[in-house]
Amino acid sequence: MRLRDLLRELPIPEQEEARRRSHAVVRAAFAEREPTPRRRHYLKPALALVAVAAVAAAAASPPGRAVLGSLRKTVAGEKRAAPELFSLPTGGRLLVSSSRGPWIVQANGSRRLLGTYREAAWSPHGKFVVASRADEVVAVTPKGDVHWTVPRPRVRFARWGGNRVDTRVAYLSGRRLHMVAGDGTGDVDLCGEPAAAPVAPEWRPPGLPHVLAYADAKGRVYVLDADRCSLMWRSARFAHPRALRWSDDGRRLLLVTRDELVVFGARARPLAVRPLRGVTDATFRPGSHELALVRGGEVLALSADRLGATPRRLFRVTGRIGQIAWSPNGRWLLVTWPAADQFLFVHGRRIRAVSGITRQFGGGGFPSLGGWCCSSQSG
Amino acid sequence: MPGASRHERAWVRGARAGRAADVEALFRHHWPLAYRAAYLVVHDAAAAEDIAQEAFLAALRALDRFDRRRPFGPWLHRIVVNRAIDWARARTLRAEISDDGTIERAAARERAGSGDSDARALAAGLAALSPEHRAVIVLRHLLEYTPGEIAELLELPRGTVNSRLRRGLDALREAVGEELI
Repeated sequence: MRLRDLLRELPIPEQEEARRRSHAVVRAAFAEREPTPRRRHYLKPALALVAVAAVAAAAASPPGRAVLGSLRKTVAGEKRAAPELFSLPTGGRLLVSSSRGPWIVQANGSRRLLGTYREAAWSPHGKFVVASRADEVVAVTPKGDVHWTVPRPRVRFARWGGNRVDTRVAYLSGRRLHMVAGDGTGDVDLCGEPAAAPVAPEWRPPGLPHVLAYADAKGRVYVLDADRCSLMWRSARFAHPRALRWSDDGRRLLLVTRDELVVFGARARPLAVRPLRGVTDATFRPGSHELALVRGGEVLALSADRLGATPRRLFRVTGRIGQIAWSPNGRWLLVTWPAADQFLFVHGRRIRAVSGITRQFGGGGFPSLGGWCCSSQSG
Repeated sequence: MPGASRHERAWVRGARAGRAADVEALFRHHWPLAYRAAYLVVHDAAAAEDIAQEAFLAALRALDRFDRRRPFGPWLHRIVVNRAIDWARARTLRAEISDDGTIERAAARERAGSGDSDARALAAGLAALSPEHRAVIVLRHLLEYTPGEIAELLELPRGTVNSRLRRGLDALREAVGEELI
């Protein structure tokens, strides 16, 4: 007994570090492993009948369905996680909104808290950030200095568009769509258009004229020349709109609804409609019409020009994915993974995981992405 | 060898089905002893880390062929201890460690009345044994396999296991003292 105790208590140098390193390697290796197909078991008929009945009864209940669903799930995507966001894998700056406010993360990993605001988004060239409080729209510099403020009730979804010299900010005040000039002047209820759905309005790139897309409360998409208050087109209704996204050449507009994807060109009639339930985030890859889509724990790739094609699965994780954002050069995809408290930077087969995200951005809940912006601050 | 516990069978089943949480459970449960066993055979922390890690990865890669009714631990320990013996033999052949009795003398010097000194003396005593003798002592007294099970794990005759155990313990007593064994 004495020998056993001594063998079990013998100090081993760096045991905890070794455990952590091995754990990371084992987890990463397992994540790449394909699950074993279930073997067929030839049970005795009576036993099989009992088992089938039990499984059917369990599966009929909502928890049962959830369990059976999770059994089919594959683990993939997570690699050796760094404990801190030491640097971005490529250039640009991240905007991350936590319960303490929006943070800017530089390419070298340094972080700056901009102030006690809620949501935040980049200006078109990363010179400013537009943020919101409950009753205020605020433009701040990346150093956190306030550029201007506009007091309005129940502000949400502020988005900044335009070119380097002439910009506009659109936002929702309650259900009304508003617009203010890039210097904080001339705030208007935009063109008296119908009440908006709870979806962020989106400015059409690359800048001029100031064309804005938004979804109204009935699920119709409006595309407006905002300076002239002229309606360019208005779509039919699409129930439960979730998000609007422009391709960066301004030639494709994607509407994500609860049940389908809709791609528009220059007219109200959609170029394509594809039923695809459960997409919660989508983004165009810079310089292309390629879409990345978040659906549950999967990131799917699909071309907006071939919406009927089978989506290609880029990867999947256990649990649900939060948001996605492309790096400015379109090479890295940032995927937020709230269940694992991680950011995943994905480039082909390479995955850089960073853990402890909630802690790194001040605690509270898991933060949201405000975008991965251009590397230059000059614009 | 004891049969697999209900938990362990569930973890193996889950790991085969792709559930990361079950792999985590297997790792948490088995890695510490696997690493300790490797270290006590090779007496090199970096090598022990590699061996335990590689053994775990090998076990995961072979999960599809694993008989779920059998316990996971002995399967892993077989891989760990055999790799550790191979590594220690290779190191001896490369003469990377002293074989001039330095370790034994250091062990004798370190032998003291209590606490960490006992553990250090034991470590030094073990280091003075051959890898084969260390392996059977680790399997018997750390991992608590019976001589019959050790024979099965190492694919040795049971008599060979018994003689290695006896000789190993005798040598250890000489190095560290009767009171520690």
